[in-house]
Amino acid sequence: MPAPLHQIDPHADDTAVEDWPAITATLSRYVRARTDRADVVEDVVQETLSRLVHQGRIQKLVSIYALGFRIAANLVIDHHRRDRRYVAEREEEPTSQMPLPDRILAGRQELAILKDALAAMPPLRRDVLVRRRLQGQSCAVIARELGLNPKAVEKHITRGLADLHKAMAGHGAARGDMQ
Amino acid sequence: MNREDQIAEEAAAWIHRLNQPAIDAAAGPAFDAWMAAAPRHREVFAELQALWQSEVLVEALGQVRGVPVAASAPPVPRRWWDHGRRSAAPLAAACAVFAGVVLVPPLVGSTTYRTGAGTPKAVVLADGSRVDMSGDTELRVRIVPWSRTAVLVRGEAFFDVRHETSRTFQVASDSTSVRVLGTAFNVDRQSATRTAVAVYRGAVEIGVAGQANLILRKGEAARVVDGHIAALARVGDTVPDWKSGWFEASDIPLGVLIGKVQRYSTRPIVVQDAALQALPISGRFRISDPGKALQAVQAAYQVEVSYGPTAISVRPIGTAHDR
Repeated sequence: MPAPLHQIDPHADDTAVEDWPAITATLSRYVRARTDRADVVEDVVQETLSRLVHQGRIQKLVSIYALGFRIAANLVIDHHRRDRRYVAEREEEPTSQMPLPDRILAGRQELAILKDALAAMPPLRRDVLVRRRLQGQSCAVIARELGLNPKAVEKHITRGLADLHKAMAGHGAARGDMQ
Repeated sequence: MNREDQIAEEAAAWIHRLNQPAIDAAAGPAFDAWMAAAPRHREVFAELQALWQSEVLVEALGQVRGVPVAASAPPVPRRWWDHGRRSAAPLAAACAVFAGVVLVPPLVGSTTYRTGAGTPKAVVLADGSRVDMSGDTELRVRIVPWSRTAVLVRGEAFFDVRHETSRTFQVASDSTSVRVLGTAFNVDRQSATRTAVAVYRGAVEIGVAGQANLILRKGEAARVVDGHIAALARVGDTVPDWKSGWFEASDIPLGVLIGKVQRYSTRPIVVQDAALQALPISGRFRISDPGKALQAVQAAYQVEVSYGPTAISVRPIGTAHDR
């Protein structure tokens, strides 16, 4: 007897009516921006949705979107890792792990845009982003080391990220847009 | 600020808030409500989240970063911010510690290990891997169900990594990264843009600025200087030299050697002269004994070492100031 498909149980208690088409479209947009591979996008989104449904049955979710993005991010990483291992087993040449030429080109363009945008920022804001994203420092550490208050650190991060997004969108280089 | 900019800032604030180790219970429903409110909210958040997590951003940040401020520098007060525009955004205060519910699965915060000058220490990580840290070394480790990462903030460390097929172990030092499955290797962060790696068991993959460049196998060593990889002489022993307090220098700048001696010296060692910093040095030095190591440098090269009340200074011969 085939296992029942994951479905939303309309009779479950306390179940919020989730907007699944909106959740699906949002997760797809996110995964498309993280990988070039259409088959991976499909896989990751479907798997994420099925896990969300499953989790939602076990417990009340604190945030379906937050959990969805978390699951999708992990699945994207898993896919990348599997690809890398497969390539590494097939051929030990490090060059085989280089991205394809068109990807390099797109990557370089994005890199140039981001570097320009970072260079145009106030140095303090750039420093906060470097510490947070590159060095993984906590807000408390950044605030202490730079003599800022925590709200100022947060403001630099959110403004900085918004600036970077604007730069990418301005160049039509946000990959999620181009699909 | 136009509507689009405002959405981007709100989305960025949510990304920031959700990246905190602990999130209060009210934040989850508030985030879902914000996402449900408009399609554009969802689109911008999805793009921003992908951007924040992208490798390209990491690479760009690595390339634009200036020379890092020395860790010992006192924090610079930046009072001017207090005069800046205050935001009334309801999403503020995400940096504060929340005592509420943690989202599942929780993002485990990183653990920082530090050693003082002259006091090397061994630590066992949550996955059973062992790390021997040299003096004056700082290592930030994050072990989560899907990855194991360590950032060598400064100093030198020898890693004996527990083999796991599904979780790689990655060590980053500036733009240099070392990726392994299970192996023993040494990472020496000699300066902000200079890192040496040697492999004592298994194999590792060295990457520079996010690109995989070279596979090192047992007995092989390489260093990355300003983003360029060069092979080094093979290493023989099963453990690196520094664990017995020695350092084999072959044509390395004096500044790098001094940096290694500094890991064992409680007093700062100052080399003011830029030409002297770059002076190529070769030889085997007992770095765990700063006095002896500096004596050896003084004997072999045209330098003068003077022991001041608060610092040790190394100068070209004949330029000593009166104290």
